[in-house]
Amino acid sequence: MGWRRLNHVLHRDIGYLCIGLTIIYAISGLVVNHTSHGFNPSYVIEKKTAEVTPLKTAGQPDAGYVAQVLKELGETAALKNVAMLSPDTMRIFVEGNTIDVHTGTGKVALEKVTRRPVLFEMNYLHLNKPKGLWTWLADIYAVALLLVALTGMLMIRGKTKWRGIILTGVGILGPILFLVVLL
Amino acid sequence: MKKLLLSMLLLLALPTLALTEELKLGEPLTLTEVTKVSEINKYPEKYAGKRVLIEGLVINVCAARGCWMDIASDVPFDKIQVKVVDGEIVFPMEAKGKTARVEGIAEELKLSQEEAIEMARHQAMESGGTFDPATITGPVSFFRLRGLGAEIK
Repeated sequence: MGWRRLNHVLHRDIGYLCIGLTIIYAISGLVVNHTSHGFNPSYVIEKKTAEVTPLKTAGQPDAGYVAQVLKELGETAALKNVAMLSPDTMRIFVEGNTIDVHTGTGKVALEKVTRRPVLFEMNYLHLNKPKGLWTWLADIYAVALLLVALTGMLMIRGKTKWRGIILTGVGILGPILFLVVLL
Repeated sequence: MKKLLLSMLLLLALPTLALTEELKLGEPLTLTEVTKVSEINKYPEKYAGKRVLIEGLVINVCAARGCWMDIASDVPFDKIQVKVVDGEIVFPMEAKGKTARVEGIAEELKLSQEEAIEMARHQAMESGGTFDPATITGPVSFFRLRGLGAEIK
């Protein structure tokens, strides 16, 4: 097998290996690029307000009042914890929901958090949250992409030689020009 | 083709299963003695630059990038913020209401009035709350923990 044939086979087969992760990283890259104060790429965060019966007695609320608040809100998820943020603000943590209650007025602010299906998992991998073994797999993927690029460059020849040179040049000059203009 | 798609979905579901267990983030914890948050807040000069281990209820998490979380103190209405380098550690939103053990370097942050207003505005936006700049009337200094590793359960 000549080196051109070997290069072609490497480019093709490494490319096949990269398809799965490229799709995951590309989709995740798109959503992570648009992370902002109003958009979390991994979670849907819904904020609502409501009102419940204010705490009638002075002092700190007890378990009975917490249960009453959850009942009035129709919240059935498992209770995780309760914390007093200030003398009159109680924060109730239930699975997937954070509930701030102003005990004096009964005003409530709810923050419901749910994972974005599939995107959560894609971002989990793309942002290398697992660390450890995934770091190695992601490194292998990065090297594989590099090989796809290098073997791709060696395929520039023949009738499409100039098209290859121009398109590759555009791809390389794009980020360089952007940096020159930006910096 | 169907089998391939099912396998890919199963593969994507694996991290979800893993996240339901105790979560370990960043460097492994090396300290065993827990320092009370109230101690750090009361005697900041004693702890500045020191590596400490704290434990407490996670009461808030950065909603945009998971780059900070607030840990409730052992004293009512008191807390400390744990800040991490963006991307190095990402605190999940599910950490809220759970107990965290965090190891990090205690540091004092001194901000001018303008910087303090900007930071408060930024944090209010991140948590989706409102902020009144008039509440900050001068330079602000506060203590926080530069988080290196955490265990959340």
